Amino acid sequence: MSDKYLELVNSGFTKKLAQQLGLPRPARLRRTNPSSVDHPLVPGPVVVLGEGADADAVAATALDWDLDVRRTIREGRIGALVLVLTQIDTPDQAAPVVTEAASLLRSLGPSGRVVVVTRAATDAASPAQAAARAGIEGLWRSLAKELRYGATGNAVVLREQAEVTSPAAVGALRFLLSARSAFVSGQPIEVGDATGSLPEDWTAPLTGKVAMVTGAARGIGAQIARVLHREGATVVGVDVPAAGESLARVMNQVHGLAIQADITSPEAPQRLIDRIRQRFGRLDVVVHNAGITRDKLLANMKPEQWQAVIDVNLNAQIALNEALLATPELSPEGLRIITLSSTSGIAGNRGQTNYAFSKAGVIGLVRALAPQVAQQGGTANAVAPGFIETEMTGKIPAARRQVARRLNSLQQGGLPVDVAEAISFLASPQSAGINGQTLRVCGQHMVGA
Amino acid sequence: MRTHILEQVPSLAGLYGKALGRTARAAAPAMLARTPQSTQLPAVRYAVEEVPVDAAHLGDYQRLLGEPGTDDLPAGYVHVIAFPLAMAVMVRPDFPLPVLGMVHVANRVQQHHQLHAGDVLRVRAWAEGLRAHRSGTQVDLVVEVAGQEGPEVAWRGVSTYLAKGTTLPGLALIETDDGDSRASAEASASRSREGGQMPEQTAVWDVDKHTARRYAAISGDRNPIHTSALGARAFGFPRPIAHGMYTAARALAAVGTARGPAFTWDVEFAKPVLLPSSVGFGLRRRETGGYDYAGWRQRNGRVTFTGSVRPAA
Amino acid sequence: MAQQPRNTTSGKATNGKSDGDKPAAEESGRRRNSGGRERATSGSAANRGKAPDQPRAAIIGSNRIPFGKAGGAYAEATNQDMLTAALSGLIARHQLQGERLGDVVGGAVLKHSRDFNLTREAVLGTALSPQTPAVDIQRACATSVEAVNVVANKIRLGQITSGIAAGVDSTSDAPIVVSDRLRKTLLRLSRAKTVPQRLKLVGQLRPSDLAPVAPNVNEPRTGLSMGEHQAITTRQWDITREAQDEVALASHQNLAKAYSDGFFDDLLTPYRGLVRDESLREDTSAEKLATLKPVFGTKGEHGASASMTAGNSTPLSDGAASVLLGTPQWAQERGLPVLAHVVDTEAASVDFARGTDGLLMGGAYAVPRLLHRNGLTLDDFTFVEIHEAFASVVLTTAAAWADEEFCAERVGVPSPGELDYDRLNVTGSSLAAGHPFAATGARIVGTLAALLAQHKEQHGGDEPVRGLISVCAAGGQAVAMILEAA
Repeated sequence: MSDKYLELVNSGFTKKLAQQLGLPRPARLRRTNPSSVDHPLVPGPVVVLGEGADADAVAATALDWDLDVRRTIREGRIGALVLVLTQIDTPDQAAPVVTEAASLLRSLGPSGRVVVVTRAATDAASPAQAAARAGIEGLWRSLAKELRYGATGNAVVLREQAEVTSPAAVGALRFLLSARSAFVSGQPIEVGDATGSLPEDWTAPLTGKVAMVTGAARGIGAQIARVLHREGATVVGVDVPAAGESLARVMNQVHGLAIQADITSPEAPQRLIDRIRQRFGRLDVVVHNAGITRDKLLANMKPEQWQAVIDVNLNAQIALNEALLATPELSPEGLRIITLSSTSGIAGNRGQTNYAFSKAGVIGLVRALAPQVAQQGGTANAVAPGFIETEMTGKIPAARRQVARRLNSLQQGGLPVDVAEAISFLASPQSAGINGQTLRVCGQHMVGA
Repeated sequence: MRTHILEQVPSLAGLYGKALGRTARAAAPAMLARTPQSTQLPAVRYAVEEVPVDAAHLGDYQRLLGEPGTDDLPAGYVHVIAFPLAMAVMVRPDFPLPVLGMVHVANRVQQHHQLHAGDVLRVRAWAEGLRAHRSGTQVDLVVEVAGQEGPEVAWRGVSTYLAKGTTLPGLALIETDDGDSRASAEASASRSREGGQMPEQTAVWDVDKHTARRYAAISGDRNPIHTSALGARAFGFPRPIAHGMYTAARALAAVGTARGPAFTWDVEFAKPVLLPSSVGFGLRRRETGGYDYAGWRQRNGRVTFTGSVRPAA
Repeated sequence: MAQQPRNTTSGKATNGKSDGDKPAAEESGRRRNSGGRERATSGSAANRGKAPDQPRAAIIGSNRIPFGKAGGAYAEATNQDMLTAALSGLIARHQLQGERLGDVVGGAVLKHSRDFNLTREAVLGTALSPQTPAVDIQRACATSVEAVNVVANKIRLGQITSGIAAGVDSTSDAPIVVSDRLRKTLLRLSRAKTVPQRLKLVGQLRPSDLAPVAPNVNEPRTGLSMGEHQAITTRQWDITREAQDEVALASHQNLAKAYSDGFFDDLLTPYRGLVRDESLREDTSAEKLATLKPVFGTKGEHGASASMTAGNSTPLSDGAASVLLGTPQWAQERGLPVLAHVVDTEAASVDFARGTDGLLMGGAYAVPRLLHRNGLTLDDFTFVEIHEAFASVVLTTAAAWADEEFCAERVGVPSPGELDYDRLNVTGSSLAAGHPFAATGARIVGTLAALLAQHKEQHGGDEPVRGLISVCAAGGQAVAMILEAA
């Protein structure tokens, strides 16, 4: 599952060769070191650009994190650029900040960060403001594609009821600045309101929480379990009985509870709830990660191939969510539902009508669930991975795999941990104001939004 | 009968050498039926006053036979250390029968009390009961062993041998319960396992040349019929045969602690156990106490030996 | 509401016994040993054998790996590998990582000399606290049911509040040793002081001494295999081929159904690609079983009536199984539901070497004595688990139980009654699952505890729901155990 090409263009003789030939040279992305999480949070100065109270507040927030915060810089490498554009009424008002940013872009270091803090165009007070906000979206989406050496560009998009100091805005900013968002690029994180709370310990925001992960035996699910455990959660891993050996191994690594269950069976939701209630008395997070593919062109697809995918990827989590929402006492602080979508669900993919149906389906599902779970203090969000280096994608023929990997701004596939980081972020207390969203972890994949 | 005191129990190996030497000196055809020089058994009783027990030797025996590794001398072990004295009687020049080729047809041991490894044994041995038999001449070799408990005999063994084809002039054909085992042995031989009264199988023994070699090493009985294919053929057996006393001693071991300290242990050898072979073995409690046992060829059910271990009356 | 999620740290788990435990426990210990002669009294079986404030021994859960066929999926796995796997699944299922348990009692029948500390070594390979002690025991095929008894008794005596009982065996990775003569010569060589002494010792070796010696599972005292022994017993008790095949068929059908019902989801963790027992034949039938040739008791004059086939005898197997026990309080503190309690245990042996009883008829003694002591008959049990060493063991054992004369004269207690075969091995047993010797007891205890809990949950009521276990073992031994749903 390793990306040989990435290794070759980043070391030794083959590195020089690639340079001379002008081959695309994907960078090694900075990722979280489990033994020193968020340290450093940003390797280098953070330059906060923009005028007004919001920019000052953002700079103050960054200072609180002991970052080297500058309002401008003359020389040296930059760790991150933060463009605060929340207080813009016309397109022209963006120009000074954009010009300043343009002059600094060449100083952005490897795996650098560009974060645009903005407001939603739909909430604009005037057409000019709407044009400016919509224009800003065009700006960061394009800028993300221009960044090099593993740098990413993303946006924190505030809705009407959110401020730059809202916990979810602060949390999103931190997530996007950190190594946790290594494979998130060209994406907006929309902050709906000011709910949620900042964690006491940013490196263990899930302390005291119980999180259930379906499909936890391997690949992305196992990595989700590891990251949730790293963040302080007690993990309940669920997987089919046949995957019990690896499930047990993963759960023993993360000191979690293994439950072997076929989530498509009608008894499964109650069995899982009973077991978790007996053991922990609570459930704070559910991650619907279990998923299967049965790829066929629709013309060749058998009904059971269609149904199997819908049952596992969609129906099972609808049933489990219903059962969980019917036992609110199990989630006194509200239930965080996070489901795995896919860029296939957003953009479609040849040979994956069933899979795309299920993955697009969960996007609709979380949108509809969002207001319902919010009443109890919960959230429902989806994470849509792009090309991730897993056992599953390892089975794609080599040539196709090489192409698929490069079809994004970071010119490489993501790792399971990248998906897990996004999920952990959405599960954390500071993210309560992010609801009904689908966060793509795709390195700004060329297809889709 | 006069008593001849020896310094120690002679080694069987030496005695066999002596016997072979005698045989070699005689004409080859006469090996199995040499011309008798006498119809009298030697009127001598051999005795050894101090026979020590070697603990390592005892251990080897116990392991081979499956006897527990205690200080109790198994009755079969007493036979191993004492019988060579009887053999010494048999290889005397005045012994009337050819030693090599004589067949051990029955054995009876009466143990009156248990002997122990710490005992210094006193052993007496002599021959008696020379008698004519339909297919030759039989003789009993008697061995008595006393321990330190006192002058009384603790262990008495009577080994009945048949010199096939050897007839001595002037001997009456005697049939007694005690001495002549011919009748019962033949009865056993003809009895098949289906005959009804045989014990149900309780064990199977795999007996091969290694077993025979180990027993030969422990007992000193390196008679070629047990250890050499050529030697066996010279005496009319297609393959080497197991030591009869090995099978009897193993039967005794199977009875185990249930035999108690005082018992009578009988065996009749009906057919030889050819090596290698699987021996079926059965043990059955007797209504009147003790156990009957039998061994047979696992392949065809032919009985090879029968016997009993009964509490002393 | 149960406990909050916790950071499992070593050392916090055990030794929560109250001061009142000990005297009561010791008194109860003395109460035993009157054998089958003790007069039965009425009362709930679960309360028998325990003083008022003596803790109960609760069965909390179990885990095994699917059992493999000899030379099959686990051909390359060692006992330690498999035992570690079984324990790891148990730990993950009950989230015991970092816990210091009171004791882990386990064992194997076929054991390498390097595995002298097999269970402890396995524990060190798991996520349990490395401060968890472990002990190796062995009672042939009844090893892990005896391990359950040991752990249960330690719990009831107040010595520990939690423990694991386990067993493992591999016939694929059986220990091969050097011959006795080579071994002795090597030992003497190491003691020899001079070159001539050494040369002399080496000179004594024969080529055949150098051949490796494979383990022999035949009875040491009789040289007969278990199958040959049981063939004799089968004939003595007039057990038919048809009855044996029926038991075998039921075993496969019941096990297959239990798998498809998901019954084993909480009892088993796959290992090395095996998700079900390798010996299980879902498609077997009475007709197929009837075509198999007898393999035991085929020699000698009764050969023609031989009835024991590969179909109604257990296959040689590899596997491991484990059971988690604790005081009810220990379980409650961790939010772990209790499935059943261990009520009482009886071990028995028969005089097989002298032909008094069949080698595998220990259960015919252990069960009547155990039931008599507890004032119970077979009717008082919802489930009965008889280890299917051979189909005919089930049949001869049950026949002996029902035999008034046998029980009265040989066992010395009344007959426990007729076995209702509908209550027997309802989720299959060793014929279908396989029989890794030391693992079987823990498999049965884990299965029965789950069955009892399931039955209690489905049917409710205040009546005690009991299960009976009978496991025969080499050496003429057997262990019987009573469980009661919690």
